[in-house]
Amino acid sequence: MKLFLSGNEAIAFGLVEAGVRFLSGYPGTPSSEIMPTAVELKKRYGINGYYEWSVNEKSAMEEATAASYANIKSAVAFKQVGLNVAMDPFMNTALTGTPGGLVVVSADDPGPHSSQTEQDSRFLAFFAKIPVMDPSTPQEAYSFAKYALRLSKEFEIPVMIRTTTRISHSREDVDIDLHGFSEKAEPIFRKNTDRFAATPHFRYLLHKELNKKIEKIKQINKPKTYYDGDFLVITSGISFAYLYDIVETYNLQNKIKLLKFYMPYPIDSFGLQKIIDKHKKVLVVEESYPLIEMQIQNRKNVFGRIDKTIPNEGELIVDVLENVFQDLGIVNNTIKTEVVKPPFKRPSLCPGCGHRSAFFAVKKVFGTKAVYTGDIGCYTLGLNLKAVDTVHCMGASVSFAFGFDKAFMLGGNKQTVVATIGDSTFFHSGITPLINAVHNNSSFLLVILDNATVAMTGNQKTPQDVTDSYNNTANAVDIKKVVEGLGVEFVEVMDAYDIENEIELLKRAKQHIQDAKKPAVVILKHPCIYTKEGLETNIKYKKVYVDKDLCTGCKVCIDAFECPSLIFKNGKVEVDKVTCINCGQCVYSCPFDAIGVKQ
Amino acid sequence: MKLVILGIGGMGAISLSKTIAQIAMNKDMSVKSTEIHGMAKKGGLVEIYMKIGEGVSPYIPQGDADFAVVLDELYSEYAVSFLNKNGKLIMLSNNDKYEIVEEFGDAKFANSFILKKFIDKQNIITEDDALSVLKNIKQSEKNIEAFKRGAV
Repeated sequence: MKLFLSGNEAIAFGLVEAGVRFLSGYPGTPSSEIMPTAVELKKRYGINGYYEWSVNEKSAMEEATAASYANIKSAVAFKQVGLNVAMDPFMNTALTGTPGGLVVVSADDPGPHSSQTEQDSRFLAFFAKIPVMDPSTPQEAYSFAKYALRLSKEFEIPVMIRTTTRISHSREDVDIDLHGFSEKAEPIFRKNTDRFAATPHFRYLLHKELNKKIEKIKQINKPKTYYDGDFLVITSGISFAYLYDIVETYNLQNKIKLLKFYMPYPIDSFGLQKIIDKHKKVLVVEESYPLIEMQIQNRKNVFGRIDKTIPNEGELIVDVLENVFQDLGIVNNTIKTEVVKPPFKRPSLCPGCGHRSAFFAVKKVFGTKAVYTGDIGCYTLGLNLKAVDTVHCMGASVSFAFGFDKAFMLGGNKQTVVATIGDSTFFHSGITPLINAVHNNSSFLLVILDNATVAMTGNQKTPQDVTDSYNNTANAVDIKKVVEGLGVEFVEVMDAYDIENEIELLKRAKQHIQDAKKPAVVILKHPCIYTKEGLETNIKYKKVYVDKDLCTGCKVCIDAFECPSLIFKNGKVEVDKVTCINCGQCVYSCPFDAIGVKQ
Repeated sequence: MKLVILGIGGMGAISLSKTIAQIAMNKDMSVKSTEIHGMAKKGGLVEIYMKIGEGVSPYIPQGDADFAVVLDELYSEYAVSFLNKNGKLIMLSNNDKYEIVEEFGDAKFANSFILKKFIDKQNIITEDDALSVLKNIKQSEKNIEAFKRGAV
């Protein structure tokens, strides 16, 4: 039957139908829709499987590896930088192999649209020596998910599916089987310490095994040919779909021959060379790094990224490919108009977001001189309130605060350091560096912005939730108790909306880090108003208004509070009634008491 | 048919694209769409490309679209850049938006309003095709009312 599925939904359907009964992961754009789709399928078809978010990608990878050791068909799904977090177990799982089968879904984000890097996960498959599949459409994402698991099971090797934003977040009418939901999990662990607890000597032997597997897979990895022109274009993934459309649009059926690899690693380089040598001109087109290209032995007649025919950064979209085709003389030079960019509208925290109130209070107490280490989540947008100076990777707000504090101490720099992190990111990787801060007496303030959800990626649940993804009872992990348990002496909790008391609390925390030379933690809670419950339970005045007579047009509210519902018009501030949720938090920001609320 | 939809996070542009896809699928036509909505939830731009009855990839370069539906005046010029020389622009004006918020209580109903305006400008899908999908979505009565308000 046909369903209008996104690439991510299609991957989930494929994995579950192929018999995956253990799925773990951590939310991250553009991968986040895979898990919820599997959860829905489990609910709908009563599947005998464990599909649930983990606390971070490293844990997810290890949990899924163990499940595969227990002979369960397993999978993990996360974004490309999540794979970086999972690298340690990932490399090792390649060596030990996966008795039950294990598919690693890594979602890349060339552009990047919503990531720190535009790295190519396929290179990490190459690095670990495991096969990687590169789907061109959601339909292929579905069928590759099934094939990847079969291949993984057969060779007992993890198999990667590399998807990109344009596959994960594209939709099409996908033809699906809706089979395989009744397959039962049959766990059994056959002990083998030479393999599963291998010492370095045995690791060498496992490496030898891995090399044998990859050689065999190389031989079954055959590319598919489309069209029969003289100009050979080698490709895989989303680039194939673009190239196919370009050939059809420009009628290049007699000029181009497309050679498509569904598995861009491992490639039989000798076999490929024979094909290449039959052509005078060869172009390699792949998103995002030159993986197939680097497996080509003789690149004398080969155009691609290495000779800079194709740009080495940015998303490889149709517009870019059309330019490449013009430069190579494959299509005639048409007068292309300049690409129009959309007007820049900077992203902001939502109107009514508790994080904004928290940042506003932090800024009031710590001013412009403090160094603000930020983290990955909605609250990265504390940037707009000038309360974020660094953003690096998950959990780095805490370790950066430690690093700055210790570095400043070396030269007598008296700048205060304030770290901000969300609740989910704290669980993900903020706890470990806080242990270091406690043990080695680092004096900084850690503000945990607790909105009780993974807001940025679609409001997934966090470990402090009282229920799991199925709304069954789960054990809530209390952030305050965790922090106290680590030995932090100053830990207090407050509602982020209580700005006046919050300022007093932050002043006391500041005093503590100065006097005790130890870390302090302040947990500022407020439910995410992007959730239905958050919005419904939020304080709501009848009206928030600006008194035109009192407003001086100083724009302090717009600059320091930065709510998108405050707009500047004709020299005065107005409240945008389309977006305002009448929370009244902006009242605190006006130095002239010009913003008021009606009860 | 190549269609570009531009909206602002939280406005429901993706729901609009799904409604159009369902209408086309009910007519046994192939549908492909792609959406970029990274930071869009935070009031940023949501960009959706759709191909109905054509293509392998859903991507539409500028200057190639038959229709552009834009849900905010801010992006009208950007929307025009996607149109081919016979392309048609369907824009939700700020005034339309305010009126819809006043009357229906939520800007999201603008999607049904603009759907009618889009349908009136093309000849692949009919008003009845749209109504048969709209009657099965959430708050269908209000959406059908907003749809009818879209009649010029």
